[in-house]
Amino acid sequence: MNEPTSIAGDFLTLLARHQIAPLRVEPSAGAPVQTQATTVFAFHFRDGVLMAGDRRATAGNVIVTDQVEKIIELDNESLLAIAGVPATAFEMARVLQTSFEYYRRSQLQILSLPARVRALARLLRDNLPMTLQGVGVVVPLFAGLDHSQSPANPRIYFYDPLGAQFQAVGFAASGSGSVTIRSVLSYQERFGQPRPSEMDLKAAVKFALRLLMVASEFDSATGGVNPQVQQFATLKLLTAEGVKDVDAAQQAQSLTDK
Amino acid sequence: MTEEPYRWLEAVANRREYVRDQLKGGTPVFAVSLPDGILLLGVGGGQSKVFEIFDRQALAGLGHPADIEKVRHAIIDAAHMEAFTRAPEDVSLRRLVGYGLGPQLKANFEQVYSAPFLVELVFAELGATPAQDALVRLHFDGTFQAQNGGVLVAAANAETEAAAQGWLQTQLAQVADRKTAADWLLQAWWLAVEGKSFTESVPSEEERRAGWRRAVNGRMVEAGWLARSSSRPARYETLDPERLIL
Repeated sequence: MNEPTSIAGDFLTLLARHQIAPLRVEPSAGAPVQTQATTVFAFHFRDGVLMAGDRRATAGNVIVTDQVEKIIELDNESLLAIAGVPATAFEMARVLQTSFEYYRRSQLQILSLPARVRALARLLRDNLPMTLQGVGVVVPLFAGLDHSQSPANPRIYFYDPLGAQFQAVGFAASGSGSVTIRSVLSYQERFGQPRPSEMDLKAAVKFALRLLMVASEFDSATGGVNPQVQQFATLKLLTAEGVKDVDAAQQAQSLTDK
Repeated sequence: MTEEPYRWLEAVANRREYVRDQLKGGTPVFAVSLPDGILLLGVGGGQSKVFEIFDRQALAGLGHPADIEKVRHAIIDAAHMEAFTRAPEDVSLRRLVGYGLGPQLKANFEQVYSAPFLVELVFAELGATPAQDALVRLHFDGTFQAQNGGVLVAAANAETEAAAQGWLQTQLAQVADRKTAADWLLQAWWLAVEGKSFTESVPSEEERRAGWRRAVNGRMVEAGWLARSSSRPARYETLDPERLIL
């Protein structure tokens, strides 16, 4: 109880004191086939940021499941979209979830957006050995609230596998299916009527679902959306009020609305 | 001096007296289990008294602010380690207090060459129903008592604490909403602070209400709420006293 924490509120320091290193794994030469490949993206719409992801996980040419949640609510004001090796990505999400809440509760204030963005970069850098060996690559997207403006403004960030972080102006996409939809997003952003940033919620949800349908046309590792068999995506919104889900019923409704 | 057993006992007794004397100026804190959640309440003179610990756990305490902070950090560290290494569902007050804080406070209290912790605390853990709520009273010397549901008081004086708790149990038996509950807690707070009796010649309700409203002027009423139904894992929220009671 009397031991001081070297960096107050830093959960990774607390883990280190207990000799727990969540992402330190020694890779082996005979590493098993990793499940990966996906389509996740985020774009600004009129009320905030919409982050979406398909729900398929694959290992080679095998579909492991169509029920994966790739858009993860880290806390009430940040979202993570995972693309890459799920085992590593989910562990990163768990570390961030606990770190952000730990900081908020222990320091009695929320962690700033720049610190959140860097916390993920730090985890990616810690994962460098696995990334370089090609068995633990994670290329996530992040969305968080910027409180330097009032009302708080949602921002989107994307990363490279080594941990470099970049702020996205209009949209960002990651995963094997992202190549296809990046073109569509870019086209819509430049020539669309309306542009994604001008869309209301209904239009933004419909647009996101259609993007996933397109991605799944060209990428077998993307699960896509098929309302006829009740197969939908994971869609979450980040607005000045916090995180909200767009559930399957709302998604189905948006596709039937004209 | 303390290598002789009777001197050690004397030293511990002196510490107990010292701690009680230091805590004398502290005002009571409360936790009450209601149908929709758990309400924690305290009245501070500048420093905070009610805190979130983890998704379903919170504490309220009186004492030296630095000691409350140390205890708060220790339990938050333990709760988050437990949640990360096992699961958030495994974080429980029974383990955090019974196997963590309680023994640590006891060990600290009995080490007569180190400064004792000047704290009196109540902890609350939200269950699926009020009957499954856990309320734990932890004393500066590491002793603790746990109960399911009901109301729990921590005060600097044991007699006042017992009287306030008995009185509140009766008054809050039929209370369901947190606004009414907060009003009763503040009435009890005022009776305790004013040194009035909870059993004989208890001031009228009108007098008690006017009394606490007068007494909280210039102080900070602090209330925390653990909500039973919520779509989020973190159930704690700080309540605005203006909207809650004033």
